[in-house]
Amino acid sequence: MRESRDRIYPLDNRTASHMFANLMAHACICFRVGMTDQGNEIKMNVAPPRFGSKSLVGSPLRRKEDDAFVRGAGCYTGDIAKENMLHAVVVRSPMASGSFVIDSLDEALAASGVKLILTAEDVAHMSDLPAMGMRKGPDGIKAPYRNIPVLCRDKVRYVGDAIAFVVAETVEQARDAAELLEISFEGAEAVIDTGEALADGAPPVWPDADSNRAYVNTLGDADATAEAFKNAHHVTVIDFVQNRLVSNYMETRAAIGDWDGERNRYTLTVGSQGVHGTRDIVSRILGDDAELRVITPDVGGGFGPKGFVYREYPLVLEAAKRLGRPVRWVGDRTEHFLTDAHGRDNVVHAEMAMDGEGRFLGLRIDLTAAMGAYTHQFGVAIPWFGVTMSTGVYDIPALDFTLTGVFTHTCPVDAYRGAGRPEAAFLIETLVDACARDMQLAPDEIRRRNFIRPDQMPYRTPGGRLYDVGEFAGHMDRAMENADWAGFPARLETSKARGRVRGIGMASYIEACAFAGSEPAFVALQDDGTVTVDIGTQSNGQGHATAYAQFVAETIGLDINAVEVIQGDTDRIAKGGGTGGSRSIPLGGVSAYRAGEALATKIRKIASEELEASPDDIELSGGQAVVAGTDKAISLADIAKAATDPADLKAEAEFKQDEATYPNGTHICEVEIDPATGIAEVVRYTIVDDFGMTVNPMLLAGQVHGGVVQGIGQALLEQTVYDETGQLLTASFMDYALPRAGDVPNFSFETRNVPSITNALGIKGAGEAGTIGAAPAAMNAVTDALYRAYGVTHINMPATPAAVWEAIRRARE
Amino acid sequence: MSKMQINITVNGKKQELLAEPRELLIHVLRERLGVTGPHVGCDTSHCGACTVDMDGKSVKACTVFAAQANGADITTIEGLGGPDGLHVLQQMFKEHHGLQCGFCTPGMITRAYRLLQEIPNPSEEEVRFGMAGNLCRCTGYQNIVKAILAAAAELNAAKEAAQ
Repeated sequence: MRESRDRIYPLDNRTASHMFANLMAHACICFRVGMTDQGNEIKMNVAPPRFGSKSLVGSPLRRKEDDAFVRGAGCYTGDIAKENMLHAVVVRSPMASGSFVIDSLDEALAASGVKLILTAEDVAHMSDLPAMGMRKGPDGIKAPYRNIPVLCRDKVRYVGDAIAFVVAETVEQARDAAELLEISFEGAEAVIDTGEALADGAPPVWPDADSNRAYVNTLGDADATAEAFKNAHHVTVIDFVQNRLVSNYMETRAAIGDWDGERNRYTLTVGSQGVHGTRDIVSRILGDDAELRVITPDVGGGFGPKGFVYREYPLVLEAAKRLGRPVRWVGDRTEHFLTDAHGRDNVVHAEMAMDGEGRFLGLRIDLTAAMGAYTHQFGVAIPWFGVTMSTGVYDIPALDFTLTGVFTHTCPVDAYRGAGRPEAAFLIETLVDACARDMQLAPDEIRRRNFIRPDQMPYRTPGGRLYDVGEFAGHMDRAMENADWAGFPARLETSKARGRVRGIGMASYIEACAFAGSEPAFVALQDDGTVTVDIGTQSNGQGHATAYAQFVAETIGLDINAVEVIQGDTDRIAKGGGTGGSRSIPLGGVSAYRAGEALATKIRKIASEELEASPDDIELSGGQAVVAGTDKAISLADIAKAATDPADLKAEAEFKQDEATYPNGTHICEVEIDPATGIAEVVRYTIVDDFGMTVNPMLLAGQVHGGVVQGIGQALLEQTVYDETGQLLTASFMDYALPRAGDVPNFSFETRNVPSITNALGIKGAGEAGTIGAAPAAMNAVTDALYRAYGVTHINMPATPAAVWEAIRRARE
Repeated sequence: MSKMQINITVNGKKQELLAEPRELLIHVLRERLGVTGPHVGCDTSHCGACTVDMDGKSVKACTVFAAQANGADITTIEGLGGPDGLHVLQQMFKEHHGLQCGFCTPGMITRAYRLLQEIPNPSEEEVRFGMAGNLCRCTGYQNIVKAILAAAAELNAAKEAAQ
C-alpha cells in the first residue's frame, strides 16, 4: 500500500520571487528561504522585495512550449518529411568480436529502390569520432584513445557496431536491402564483464595493446590514507557493482542530411543537446571545406547520451551530398539499446577508516569503470567527475582513489544523467550506511558526526573541489521531519503484522553542476514590441523557453508570452555550449538576465529621449515604457521604430563561472518488501533539496520527480544484460524494465535553499540531482529492510524481485 | 508487393489509400497522412507513444496493421480538442506540468481520454494501472497522474452540471 501524499503547486507562492529580489538587492546573502510544493513556506527572513509580488522569476509559471505538445504539434526530427527525401538504415554487427569481409553489395544495390550503400571504403576520407578528456596516468603519460570509426573497416568490437549504411526510396526498401549484403564474419572470443576485463587470458578488445586496461587515474594522498588506516579503530569495506543503464529517452535518435551544392554547404537536422558542439565535431569528422549548419528541432529527452555525435550524423550528410537529395535516418528502440552510449557500469571496492566514535579518517577506493569497446566522446572523463566528488558531504581528511578504465566488447559508455556524480553519491552514501551498521550508529548520527559544517565553508575537498556553501545537517533534519523518521518503528510494526518487511534509507548527496565555463545570451527587441532570446543551450524537455523567458521578461516588464526563446540553429545563434551537467539555468539563466537588463537600459534611454524624461524615471511594464508617476508612455513597438541604430535594440551578456556549483540535499526512501515475491515497493519518498535559488518551482519539481524515478529505476528495475558472447539480452522494453506509472509513488519535495555564492544569482542547477540522490536512498532502504529482517548487509542493484527473493532465501539457509 | 485498399476515418475525415499488407497503422498515419502527433517510441507495443483510439479502444498503432484498421474510426491527439480549443485533458496536462519533452504526451493523453471513459471517476491507483502501458522518461508520472485526476474531476463536474 502506498502512503505518500499528493501535493499541489501553489499559484500564489512568491517565496522564491522574494528570494530572487533579495539576491538582486543585496550582494551579501544572509538569509534562507525554501518552498514546498504543498505551498508551505518553511523559513523566511526576507527584506521587502525589489520586484514585489509581480516577480516572474521564482513563480510557477505554466510552460510556453506546452500548447504545441499537448496538441500533437511538436516537431521532432522524425516528424520532419522533406520533399524528395530518402531513407537510410545501418547494417550492424551481429557479433561482439571478430573480423569481416564484405563479399558483395551487388544484390543489395540491385534491390528495389536502393540508391546508395556506404561502407568503410566510401568514408575513408573521414576522421574517426573524436573522444576527449583523457588524463595523465600516474606514470605521467596519457593513454591512447580508441576512437570509433564512422564505419568499421575489418573488425567489429560489439554487437551493433556499424558496418554499412543503406539508402533507399523508402525505409522498408532500405531494410530489405540491408538483408542482402553478403558479409563473411569470423567470430572471436569476447570479454563482456567489466570485472573480468583485466583477467589473465581475457580476449583483447584492442589486440595491439598489452591488456584491456584503457587507462589508470589516481587521486588523493596514498601515504596519508595508509597512515589513517593504520590508526583506524575500525575499517568498513564494501564491494558492489554499479549497474549499466540505457538512457531510454522516449524519442529515439534521428538525423536528416541535406546538401546544397551551390553554397557548398551541408545541413544536419538532429535531436542534439547543443547545435554548436555537434557542428564542430561533425565538421571535424567530415574533414572537407564545406560549411555545416546544424538545426535541432524539438527533442524528446536527452539525459546526456543525446548530446554526443554518432556515426549516422556524418553518414546522412555524406549520402545527401552524393545523392543530391535529403536523407533521413531514424533509429529504432533496439538500435538505441545497442548503440546509444550506455551509462554507469562500475565495479567498486571501497574502504573507510574510522576512529572509535565513527569519525571518518580516510577513504580508499578502487574503481573499475567500463568504457565499452571504444573511447566514446566524453566516456573516459565521466568516471573522473565521480572520483573528484567521492568524499561527498563529509569531512574526510585523506583520500586514495584508483580509477581504472577498461575495454570490453560492449556498447561504449558515456554520460547519463549525473555522469559520474550518481556513481560517487551511491558509493559514499551506501558506504556510510555500512559504516553505521558496523559502528552500531544510526544512519543520521554517523552522518551528523561527519558532515562538513557550515563554518568550514568554503571547503576544499580531497578531490580538489571547492564547496562554496552548504548546510547538510539542515536539510537532513528537515527531510527526517518531513518523512516522519521518528514514526518509522510504528510503520515497521504495521508492515510486520501484514507479513511484510520494511526498511528506511537516506542519502545526503552533493553533486557538481555548471562546470566552469560560460553561456552567452543574445536578446533583441523586435518591431512588434516582443523580445527574442537567442541562446545556445538546448531544451530536451526541461522548459528552457519558459525559464529564460522568465528572466528576460522580468527585466523588461513583459509577459513571458512576449518573449520568444530561440535555440537549435547554428545559423541563427553565434555560439553556445549546449545543455549538459545542469548548466543551462545556472550559466544561461544569469546571462539571459544580464542581457535583459542591458537591453532594458537601452530601451529606457530611447524612451527617455522620446518622452523627454530622465532614463532613471522610466519604468518598463506591460510592454510599455512609462515615465514614473505620469501617464506619459511609449510602447516597446514604438521604441523599436524610434531607434536610429539597430544596435540600440540588441544586447548580449555572457556569464562566466570559474568553479562549479554544488546542489545538495537529503532523500529518504521507505520500502516495503513482500518476502513471498521479493517485490520491493517504494511506499514513501521524501526529498529536501538545496538548489540555491528557484527559478520556477513547477519546472523544478518536474526535474526532481523525473530524476528520482530514473534513480529508483536504477535501484530496483533497470539492468543492461549481455550474455557471455556479447549478445544484448535486454534490447527492447520487453526485457529492460523502465519504471511505469504503477512502479513509483508520489513524492514529497521541498527546497531548503542556501544560495550559491559562486553563481551570480545563487543558482546551483537541478537537472540531475533527483537521479543522484535517489539510487542510494532506495538501496539504503532495501538493505535496511533486509538487514533488519534477515541480517543481509548487501544486495546489488537492481534489487529486482528475483534478486531480493534470492537474497532472502540465502539468508534463511 | 500487392497493395490493399484501405478505408479509414481519421479524426473525422474519411481517407482512402493503398497499403502494403505489412504496413503498420502508425506508418500510414505518420508517413502517408502526415498525422505526426502519435510517435514511434519502441516498435514493440511497450511504450505507448503511438497510442490512438480505434473504434472506442486504445490501441498501439505500431502493432496494428493498416489492413486491420480497414473500416475503422481512428482518433489521434490531433482530433481530441474541439473546434474551440483544447480537450480538458490537454488543458490539465498543461496546468499540472504533466509533460516535459512532450514526445510521449500525444499517446499519454489519447490513452487517458479512453481511460476516463472506461472509468469516469478513477482512483489514483486506477489511473496508475490504467496508464501502465504508456512510458514517460521525463516526468516521473506524478504530474501525469495529477493531470488525469484533475481532468476526471472537471469532466464529472461538467457532467453533473449538465444533468
